[in-house]
Formats: sequence, C-alpha cells, structure tokens
Amino acid sequence: MTRGIDVGLATCHTCDLVVNMGAPARPPAGACPRCRSPLRFRKPNARTHVIALLIAATALYFPANAFTIMYTEQFPLRRADTILSGVVFLWQQDEWELAVLVFAASILVPLLKLGALAFLVIASGRGSTWRPHARTKLYRVLEVIGHWSMLDVFVVALLTAVVQLGQFARVAPGPAVLPFAGVVVLTMLASASYDARAIWDRGVLD
Amino acid sequence: MTDPRFEDLPVPVVHKHKRGRPSAVWIVPILAVLAAGTLALRSYLRAGPTIEITFESAEGLEVGKSDVRFKNVPIGKISSIELTDDQRQILVRVQLERGAASLAVQDTRFWVERPRIGVGGVTGFGTLLSGAYIGVDRGTSKDKVERFVGLEKPPGVTHDQVGRRFRLDSVDAGSLGVQSPVYLRRQQVGSVSALELSGDGKRIDIEIFINSPYDRDVTDTTVFWNTSGLDVSLDATGLHVDTQSLATVIAGGIAFGLRDGDPPGSPAIENAHFTLFDDRAHAMARPDPSRLPLLMRFHQPLRGMAPGAQIDFEGVRIGQVDAVSLGYDAATHGFYSDVDATVYPERLGAAYAGLVAEGQRRGKTGPQMLQSLVSRGLRAQLRSGNLLTGQFFIALGWFPDERGKDAVAARDGVWVVPTERGGLDQVQDQVESIVAKVDKIPFDAIGSEARDAMHAASSLLGHLDHDVVPTAKQLVGQADAAMAALRDGLTALRDNVAAPDSAIQQTTRATLEQLENAARALRGLADYLQHHPESILRGRSSGSEPKGSP
Repeated sequence: MTRGIDVGLATCHTCDLVVNMGAPARPPAGACPRCRSPLRFRKPNARTHVIALLIAATALYFPANAFTIMYTEQFPLRRADTILSGVVFLWQQDEWELAVLVFAASILVPLLKLGALAFLVIASGRGSTWRPHARTKLYRVLEVIGHWSMLDVFVVALLTAVVQLGQFARVAPGPAVLPFAGVVVLTMLASASYDARAIWDRGVLD
Repeated sequence: MTDPRFEDLPVPVVHKHKRGRPSAVWIVPILAVLAAGTLALRSYLRAGPTIEITFESAEGLEVGKSDVRFKNVPIGKISSIELTDDQRQILVRVQLERGAASLAVQDTRFWVERPRIGVGGVTGFGTLLSGAYIGVDRGTSKDKVERFVGLEKPPGVTHDQVGRRFRLDSVDAGSLGVQSPVYLRRQQVGSVSALELSGDGKRIDIEIFINSPYDRDVTDTTVFWNTSGLDVSLDATGLHVDTQSLATVIAGGIAFGLRDGDPPGSPAIENAHFTLFDDRAHAMARPDPSRLPLLMRFHQPLRGMAPGAQIDFEGVRIGQVDAVSLGYDAATHGFYSDVDATVYPERLGAAYAGLVAEGQRRGKTGPQMLQSLVSRGLRAQLRSGNLLTGQFFIALGWFPDERGKDAVAARDGVWVVPTERGGLDQVQDQVESIVAKVDKIPFDAIGSEARDAMHAASSLLGHLDHDVVPTAKQLVGQADAAMAALRDGLTALRDNVAAPDSAIQQTTRATLEQLENAARALRGLADYLQHHPESILRGRSSGSEPKGSP
C-alpha cells in the first residue's frame, strides 16, 4: 500500500491539512501554509522521545512501588502502605475484587504499558514486519487503558482531602505518590509521542 | 500520484532548519532518574543501623507494623522476625532511624511492651489497642553493637533515672520480684531492679535501685531486711505481726534503715554489697562477736521446743536454740533429746566483762569458768514461756542441790550443760499421774452397765406399756360398770326399803309386831315356867295363865 511519504504528501500535525511536500521521503522542511505549524512526514524524533520518556518512567517506577504511597491513621492503628502492601492488605481483608482492581490498575497496567511501548518502539525501530495489525491494535489498547492507571493517585488525593477526622482518622499522601503520578503521566506522554505510522514504515526512518 | 488533484495541493513554506542539537526530550529521563535517585538516597540516608534483638517470644509483634519506641517516640521499625539458628528464640531485625543510631550501644536494653497487670498497677495499657511495641532504655556505653538480647519484662530501672544501685545477698527472696518496692521509713524510695540466682544456685543476688536523693541514706552501717508478705511470728514472747504496707503483703518489698544507736556512717559506694536479712528482728540484732555453742541433753519430751527458741539466763536472752534432735541411749534403752544452741556471752554485758575479769585474775579460761559455774549449780531447764501457745524456752538457772555434781564436758568444741527437769515438768508429771489414775477408772464398763440397766428399765416400761395398761384399762371399765350396777341396786333398795309406804316396810312392821307379840309370849312363858317349872312335865295347870303376854 502506498504511503503519503512515498509520494511526498505530508499531513499537518496541528490542523490535519494534507500538504504536497514536493519530493517523497525527503528530510522535512517548511511549515503548514494554513496554520504555520512545522510540517513533518512523521512526528519528529518520535523514537527518541518515546525512548527518553520510557527511561524516565521506568526510573520513577521503582520509587513509586518501593515507597509509602499512603499513610492511614485510624486510631489506634497506624499504617504506612506501599501499593503492593495495600493490595495485600485488601486481599487479607477479603476485599479481593478491590485488590485485583488496584493491582491491575496500579501495578500491572503501568508495567504492561512500559513493556508494550518498549516493544513497539524497538520493533518499529528495527523495521519489523511482524504482525503490523496486531501491533496497531496493541497501541490502541494502550491509549485507552492508559488513563485508568491514574486511579491510585486519584484515590490518595481524594482520601487525603476527605478523611481528615483529626485524632481519629487521617490519610496523608506518602513520598511514592509523585513518582507514581510521574510514571503514569510519562507513559501517557510516551504513548502519545509514539507515531503509530511507524508500524507500517518497515524500516523507513522519519 | 494516483490522486488526480494531487498537483493542486499546497506546497510548504520553506525555511531554514536548525539541527545537530540533542533533543530537549532527554531532559525528562535525566530529571526522572535524578528524582528517583534523590528519593532513594534520602531514604538511605535517613535509615540508621539495622540491629538484631533476640526475644523469647514474638507475641504481639508484627513486621512493618510494630515499631521501636524510646520514651514512646517511634525510632525504628521491625523489618523481620525469624527464628534463631538454634530454633530456641526469635530474632527481630529492627531498622532504626538515623537519629536513633546512637541508641545502639552495648548497655541499651530492649523489651517487648505488652499490657501487664501487677500489684503496682497496670502498665502498657495503650498497647491493648495499638499492639505491642519494643521499648528501649538508652544505654550510656560508647561501644556500638548490633546484636542485643531482649528483656522479657520492662527493666525496673531505666538508665536515665538518677540514683544508685546496690547489691543484696539473700538466701530466700520470698515474694520479691523485679520492681518490688524498697522502703525507707515506710516510704518507697527505690525498687528491685534485678533478681537472680547466684552461680551455685544457693543464694539470691538482688540488685536494688535507690532513687536520688535517698541513695545518700544507704551507708556502710545500713541494714536491709525483707518485708515480703505478712511477718507473723509466734514465740515465747507472744504474737508479732509486722508489715510495711499492704502492697508488700502481696508484692513483697525490702526495707532498710539503721540499727538503733548505730552512727549514720558514710554513704555507701555504688554497687556495694549488703546482706538481706529475713526480717526486721534479724536485721536489728547486732552481730555478736563471740559465740558459744552449747549442747543440752534432756530426758523429757521437748514438745513446743523449736529452733529459734530463746536461751534465757537470769531473765536475759543470751542465745537461741539451733536444732533439736532425738537420740537413743542403748545403755538405758531410753530416748533423749539433744538441744543444740548458741549463746552470745557478750549479751550479758557488764556481767560478762566481770566474769572475764575474774577469769583472768584467777587464770582460768572461758571453758573453765563455765565449768566452775556448772559446779556451782548452773543447770539448763525447760520452761514454758507462754502457757497459751505452748511455747518453751530454755532457762539457765541455779540449782543449789546440784552443787558440786557433774562437770562441763567439751565434745567437738561444743560445751555440754547438764539439764534439770523443770518445775513445770514435775507438775506435769503429777498431773500426768492423776490423769493416769483417772484413766484407770473403768468408765467404759460403768458406762456399759449403766447402759444395760437403762435398757432393762426401758424394756420393762415398754412391757408395761404394751401388756398391762390395756388390761388395767379393761378392769377399770368393768369396775365402773359394776359400781354403776351397785348404785342402781342400792337406789332400788332404798326405794323399796326406805319409803314409808313400801311393801317391805309394812311387812317388816307387821313382822316386828308379830315378833314383839312372840317375845311377849315367850316372856309370859318364861315367867310361868319360873313359877311353875313342873308344867314342863305335867303341862299347864288350869287357872294359871302365863303373865306378861303381849
């Protein structure tokens, strides 16, 4: 199937205007005649961006899981939970549906996103021709579920705001909240930076 | 190319393109790594040393939840609980905070704080709700160590308390325990901080802590005594009850003070050793410099004589009985009782000094002096000190009759004092003989005979009751009836006889008249016969009528 890049056609990334670049697969130059945004055949440095963001997200993934995400004080008990200990606690309390949900949204999904994006960016970087449709589908799924991994951050933010009963019950965010939010935001940015068209480029660089 | 309107599409605005600069996006991972690194570094820097504490039990402790608290401030967390290699204890690993690193020194003590109920009150009440935690008593040493042996109970005294420790040596701890109070004039001024058996297991080594400023009152002349429980003693002088406070009755306690008349002395040094006396009386008794062991052989039962009974000389208590033992004399086939006693001659005071002076003047040794006393009639006698309780004491007294007899014989360094049967003992003998006589009266036989007689009487009465009474009753009834019949008969008789118009009366009257007539006729006959006796043979002569006929 012929691609726009093969015949010198580019799409403005801002206003979606299709522009005739004059020559195919040429290093990109110029701006959109309508909105003056820079014109590119592909997202510029998409691979570099994705890789950089993935490295950043991975770096933050460790403190996000190792440190306390939430302090709960429900007199006379004081708990300091990491994400994993929270899941274990929920499981022990027989709240296993909730445990599975938190585990999936807070541990599994970020991990899968990191892994899947790494796979996609490496595969397209090497010009793989392996199952492009499946890879496209994977990318779409990543885009959709990515939003849900902010669940934990929202829970902590909400509880912190709501549960302030002085001596009796108190919830405070732990040092892991910021790294965790960082992981989620960075993986979302990484998946947004990824240019899905690279799946079909078969080794042709941007 | 296939699109026909392809050529109509707009062309881009061309301008120069700068390149060669590394992408700004790399700042993001650099920042992320820096942030993660900072977090890791900070938590690493905040973490203090990891220490290991062994405990007997992990009851109430939980990994990640139970913390370590110094003065109730959390200073660390339990990072793991596991068994020691020999499976005998548990090993608790504690991650201390950096600020608490200075706590991990050699003499720091750790214990598990749990709710405890003691006589002194309830401690660790908060742990009922919050769960157990590890308590810390900061040591004063400078040597850093990482392995500790945890205490099973909170220490009685913490390092930050001001005062001094002393060591007491005792044979029996009574009800003493860690934290048992120490009293000075019935005020608590300290407590027992440790209590353990000595190496050979024969003595108890007690460490006490006296709070400042009362530690100044512990001097080299101070005596300590045990006030555990209720000290009830019963001896020849009567009943004594002694206790410091109600708490000591249950929890035990130690009191200290000076003997009467002792100088205050100079303050004792830390960890000075003292003897813990069993009770106040023992503590207050002055140590006697010289002891004289005595043996007294009594040929009489020593019921009521027990170790501790006093030895009395002229009313002065000069010693006490140490042991009473029963012996058998093969020669006389008799039993005797040996009383071992100790007397303290110094207690005689001036008298002793006089005796010693006399002995020195006459060149006699102590035993020789005693011998001369015995030859002057000194004897030991068992006497009742308290008739009510049956307590006895031994009196050394004078028996002039015995003068010149016996002599003191030393046996294995023990001086044998001859004995005399006591006055009370003789009275007792008489009483015994009376009792024996009374005993001989065959109360049993008398009793049984009396019982038999009673039986017989009782059966007789029973017999009367059963057999005679009904018959008698019957007889009485019949007599009753007979009497009634008799009465009826008499009534009828009276009616028949007494009434003026009754037939009998009339008949009787007629009969009587006839009898009168008859009598008159008889009289006439008699008169006639007097006058005419022949008429009996010849009959009546005519003309002569018997006279007097009615």
